[in-house]
Order: sequence, then structure tokens, then C-alpha cells
Amino acid sequence: MPVVTEINLWNHNQLEVMNSSASLFQRIRRWLSVPEPNAALVTLRLVFGAAMTFSVLRFWYLGWIEDHFVDVPFTFKYYGFSWVKLLPSWGMYALHFFMLLGALGILLGWWYRISAIVFFVTFTYVELIDLTYYLNHYYFVSLVGFWMIWVPANQRFSLDVYFNSGIRSLEAPRWTIEVFKWQVGLVYLYAGLAKINYTWLVEAMPLRIWLPASNSLPLIGPLLEYSWVPYFFSWAGMIFDCSIVFLLSYSSTRLIGYVALLFFHGVTGWLFQIGIFPLVMTGMVLVFFSNSWHNRLLSWLGEVKRPVLLPVSTSIISRPFSIFLGAYFLFQVLFPWRYLLYPGNLFWTEEGYRFSWRVMLMEKAGTALFFVKDRETGREGVVDNAVFLAPHQEKQMAMQPDMIVQYAHFLAQHYREKGVQDPAVRAEVYVTLNGQPGQLLVDPMVDLTQINDSWAPKTWLLQHNGTRK
Amino acid sequence: MRGPIVSLYLFSLIFLSCKDTDQPTGSFDRKPLLEHYASRVILPAFRELELKTGSFRSQVDAFLSDPSSQRLEELRSSWYEAALSWQSANCFNFGPAGESGLKKSLVEEIGTFPTDTALIGQFIDANDTLLNNFDRDTRGFFAIEYLLFRSNALVQLQSDDSARSYLRAITAHLYNNVAGVVQAWEGGYSSTFLVSAGTDAGSSTAALYNEFVRSFEQAKNFKVGLPAGKRPGQTQAEPFLVEGYFSGFSLPLLEQHLKNLEFVYWGKDITGLKDGPGLRDYLQAVVGGADLVVASDAQWQLVLEALEQIPDDRPLSAMMAENNLAIERLHTELQKHTRFYKSEMSSLLGIAITYASGDGD
Repeated sequence: MPVVTEINLWNHNQLEVMNSSASLFQRIRRWLSVPEPNAALVTLRLVFGAAMTFSVLRFWYLGWIEDHFVDVPFTFKYYGFSWVKLLPSWGMYALHFFMLLGALGILLGWWYRISAIVFFVTFTYVELIDLTYYLNHYYFVSLVGFWMIWVPANQRFSLDVYFNSGIRSLEAPRWTIEVFKWQVGLVYLYAGLAKINYTWLVEAMPLRIWLPASNSLPLIGPLLEYSWVPYFFSWAGMIFDCSIVFLLSYSSTRLIGYVALLFFHGVTGWLFQIGIFPLVMTGMVLVFFSNSWHNRLLSWLGEVKRPVLLPVSTSIISRPFSIFLGAYFLFQVLFPWRYLLYPGNLFWTEEGYRFSWRVMLMEKAGTALFFVKDRETGREGVVDNAVFLAPHQEKQMAMQPDMIVQYAHFLAQHYREKGVQDPAVRAEVYVTLNGQPGQLLVDPMVDLTQINDSWAPKTWLLQHNGTRK
Repeated sequence: MRGPIVSLYLFSLIFLSCKDTDQPTGSFDRKPLLEHYASRVILPAFRELELKTGSFRSQVDAFLSDPSSQRLEELRSSWYEAALSWQSANCFNFGPAGESGLKKSLVEEIGTFPTDTALIGQFIDANDTLLNNFDRDTRGFFAIEYLLFRSNALVQLQSDDSARSYLRAITAHLYNNVAGVVQAWEGGYSSTFLVSAGTDAGSSTAALYNEFVRSFEQAKNFKVGLPAGKRPGQTQAEPFLVEGYFSGFSLPLLEQHLKNLEFVYWGKDITGLKDGPGLRDYLQAVVGGADLVVASDAQWQLVLEALEQIPDDRPLSAMMAENNLAIERLHTELQKHTRFYKSEMSSLLGIAITYASGDGD
């Protein structure tokens, strides 16, 4: 039997030239279906599996399962996902255990598709439990985890191949690699575009607050006190985010791009408490590297060359799937712009802020005092938030309108059960944005029990003075 | 590569046009700040507390050998002195005074109120002086207060052997807790405190700041709000929930607590002397800090005025029972002050609020 290694048996152009009179839609489907070397996909699987295994173990080790999910009186719901409930302690540990198995399964390529499903479901479930723990990079992990289910990333260098060499292949349809490029590209590009605003570029906020706070770091600490440094970081960060995908896309600029990326993620990871995000991105961008680079990596990792038994598929992706693919990326491209539909300052109201790759963009904090009034007796009391919320939950809630409403509804319910008749809940919420003096975020006279959170503009918010949209 | 060059050019234009030299650069060295707090603010406060609880312990011994009413009076005033000095040390619940394992923070171990008088009675009846339980409301300053100030205190202490044993046990517990903290600070902890000079979760600045805010909130919520019936669901004042209910010293204790918070904010020592940098100076040095200090100081002035308005001719609990408007006003002013300490200060200083906040992004 001939040993097939790097030799590509498939004529790539065959699909593309098959029918030049096909419709645009058909041509796009064909383009997406062209078999490509799958080494990049295998690297992604290894990187993602390893990063997630590490991430789950770290989360567990730091005691965050306990801190975030055990003995929690109240969790903030995602819009439309209020059915996602906190499980009892053992259930939360079980979820993380299966998440760990899923991540390991992805890393090892073992029961790959089931592992990917298990990881995606458990991870996403855990993320949806409490809105106050929302992070863009968790959202990113969920999206990548979702695509991992659909791509054949286990066809090389995996336990699945070890146990069943029949599935081994050196190629995969082009879309299976492209989706990750597009997804990663969108993250950087949108993070960069979000930085093009007056506050970030001209006022160098919030870096003028954040950088001096790190002045005790070795080496760069003293540098962070110079007034030009936040400007430099602001502009460099914006230029980096906007251009990195293009630098990585061309072989001539790839190396310099990756060096810049290592520097960027290294510095931000060092300066800020952003966990595994720099690690994940540093690994995920490898998808832009050349096939020969990936092959060298896999050989270096010890991949044994084995014969390929599976004939490369010549089939084209189905019509429904291609529509889904299109709809998915249309959503990804458009959804972050929904903020344009809302009046007022995006940073202040946060209407359309999440799921838009706005990372490390503002310094914001609030103090929220909630007043619950018994409408029968007229007696009004002030809530001690620490009774119901962990410090992190309170911190997040105190500056984000949708959470404020949810919490107000919870308070009404809680005190109704405690015997307060027909409770009205109002809130005095003072928020400071980018170092400006605190201002009221919510109309303090509005009864928040009468407000139902929706996608509609929140007219019960007070506008922020003196900042531009 | 033209994009970056054009941008760099723009950047240098903006940089050159931004010569607002009167803007603080945000440079502030936290090392001297931490050194000052450690050596001039925190350690002296704990040492004073150790001294006062130590002398209280001697007074307890003196009283137990001669349980006269005069000795009891001396003991009570010694307790009051110690409880006052506690107010100057009750906001540093980190490091050796923080939680570790089964041990709760110092303020929970020795400062819990209200006391569970029924349970104390049970322990005394059972002659159980081991304190081998998690009922922190049966020991500490305010369990001692109950034994010394309850209406029939003298008779009880004269006639009941096991009440005397219990008093001796919880007095030793109080002193040992304080002495342990002082010992740890004088031992290795001072250098640990100074080394961790960042602003991240777990740094000394974050610990000092977070416990400072927590102490402020405790004063507001548990020494004023809750006993005054200001929580939702409360239908009336619950005066017996005040700190120092049995002695009636609630007001001076509260005054001392708030005064000390002001000292800590400024970086003053327990006598009110300031000879080193404090949190307020740190705030002055960062972007937006000057405005915040002005606003915060103005509101604090209103807090102090409200505090002054509270009559001192009768115990705080009695005034709470009659829904005194002066207390209501103090509560309101304290609430208005919360945001300055709680969110605006941490935001400007870039201090991490929690350990367990997970990651940001």
C-alpha cells in the first residue's frame, strides 16, 4: 500500500472549473466545499482543546465554581434564557466535570464530535447561568466550541484515527477552516473599530486610569506613569486590532504580525486581569498560518504518517447548511451595530453593548441603592445588596440597566413573600464613567417593578451629560 | 504599512497638542503609602487595642477576686475604653485579621453584635467555657458587655461561678485574638504587606481599601440602618440590634467608628495626627481625583453635621425606638456618601474590588 503523506491527490481546481455557468450561490457553495489541507484545523483542535482543558482546571483550582455558583441566592438571567437555571452544588461540579471531559476529548480527538457537543453544551450552559459573568471571550469560546462540533478536526493526529484509521484524511472542505478565520477576524476587527472613538483616542481613557494603577510592575511599571504612555497604548491598541488580521493573512507580513500579537497579548495579559483570553487568542490566530507550517508543527508534535484510506469527498455543502452559514455570519457582522438604533451614549446606557467585541473599552463603576416601599403602609426601606449578591454581581449590576431592572423585580418578589404589601422598588444609582464625577443612571423616582426589560430603548434612564456618542 | 505611519503621525500631533501639564499624571508611589499605613496607622491601632484589652483582662482578674460593685464600675469603664479602641482597629480585617480556614475575620471573631443572650445563658448553665463552636455572637466585646451591663450583672457575677468562668474565658479569647494579630503584624506580615504593592485583587492596597469600604458599610447598615428599622420588610425600629445595647454606649462607639474611618481615609493615626500619605492623597494624585475629593469631603461634612445633631442625653437605642429624625438624617447622609467610597474611589484608583471576580475582558 502506498504511503500518502503530504502529496495532495485531489485536483483543487476541479470543483471550481466544473461549471462556470453556475449561479453565484452555487459558485460560493463550491468555493466553500473545495478540499483544503486540514493541518490548520488539527492545530486549532489541539490549541482549543488544550486551552479549554487548562481553563476548566484553572477555574476549578481557583475555587470559582464554589464562588460563582454555590450558595447563590440570585442569578441574573440572559434575555430569553431565563430557563437556564443554577444547579445544586453537585450539579455545578458535574457540569464542569463534563466540560473538562469534553475539552480533553477535543484535545485528544477522542469521541471527537460527542466531546465537542458536550463541551459546547456544558460551557454555554454555565455561561448563561449568570449575566454578571458575561465576558466577550466566553462568548467567543462558545462560538468556537459550536463550530468545533461541525468540523472534522479529528481526522489527523487523534485517538479517533488511532482507533479507526479509516477516518484519516489530509483534507477538509474549505469552509471548515474559513469559519474560524472569519470568526477570529471579526473579533479583532470589531474590537479595533470600537476603539475608534473620541474617549479612547483623544482622551486616552480608560487607559489613563488603568495604566498608572499598574505602576508597581517590574520593568514597565515606572514607564506607565508618563502621560504620553496611555496615548501610545490607546493608539497602538486600535491600530493593532484593526490591522492584525490583514497582517496575518499575507505570508510577507505574517511573522511581524504574530510578533506584534505576542507583544500585544503579552502586555495586556500582564497588565490586566483578563485570565486566559490572551492565551486563547494567541493560539487561535494560528489558523492564519500556512499549511506547511502546520504540517511541520504536527510532525514536531510527533504525528506518525499513515496511509490515507478515505477518499476525499467531492460533495458540495448542502443548500440549507450554506444558508445557515451565511445567516450566521450575517448576524455576526450586523448584530454589533444594533447600538446605532438606540439614542444616547452607548457606554452610558449599554444598549447594544454586549456581544459586540467591545473589550476593555471603558472604566465604569456604580453604587446602587434600592428602596422598597410598602404601598399599603407607605414605609420605605433600603436594601443591603450584600444579602443577596456576591460583590462581583453587585459591582456589575450597579452600572448595567438591564441588570438593575432584573434585580428590582427580584427584590419586589422577595419582599412580597416577606410580607411587604404591593412593593414598589426604586433605585438611586450613581455611576462614574471614565473617571468623571458620578451621575444618576436611572430616574430615581421610577418604580422599576413597572418596567419590563426588552429590546426597546430604555426611556427610564437618565442621559449622560457632557459625553458624546 | 502606510496606515500605521499616518496614524503615528496623527498620534504625535495629538500628543504634542496635549500639553495640559496641570493634569495629574496619575503617578503615585504606593510603597510609602503602604509603609505609612502599616507603621503609623494600622499597627499602632492594633497595639493600642492590645494594650486596652490587656488592661481589661487584668481588671477582670481583679474583679473576679473581689466582685464588688465598685470593681464592677471600674471594669465597665475599662471595657468601654477597650471597646472605643476597637473602633479604631475594626476596619483592618485582612492579613492576620482576615479570614483563614475556620477562623473568621477579626471583626466577626470579637466584634459580632447583637449577642445571643439566650445561648450565652445556656453555655453558662452548662458551664461550657471551651468556646468550641461557631456561635460568634456568644463571645467578643459585646458578649462581655452583656455580662457586665445586663440589669442584674453584679448579682449574677457574684453568685454564679460559671458566669464568672465564662467571663474569664471570653475575656481571654478577646485578648488572645488581638494579641495574635499584633504578633503576626510584628512578625512576618508587615513585609508581606509592603511587598504586595499593586492594585490587583489580593494586593495590599486593594485589601486595605476593600476592608475600609466594608467597615463603612457595616457602620451604616448594622449600627444605624438595621436597628433604626430602615430595611425593607422591617415594620418598626429594632433598637436592641444596635452595637452596645446593654451599656448604652452605642453613640460614642459609632462616633469613634466614623471618626476612625475618616482618619484612615486621610492616613491619620489613631490620635488624628497625619505625617504620611493616605488614600485621600493617593486620590488627589490620579486623573479625576481632585474633583472626587472635593465632592466626597463635602458629603462627609454633612455626615458629621448629622452625627452632631444626634442628642447624647439618652442611648441611641432609645432614640431609635422613638423614630428620631436625627438618626434618619444620619442614615440618609451616610447612604449618600456610599458611592464616593464604594464605586468612585475604586474606579479612579483602578483597584480590584473582589478576589473572586473571575476574569475581566
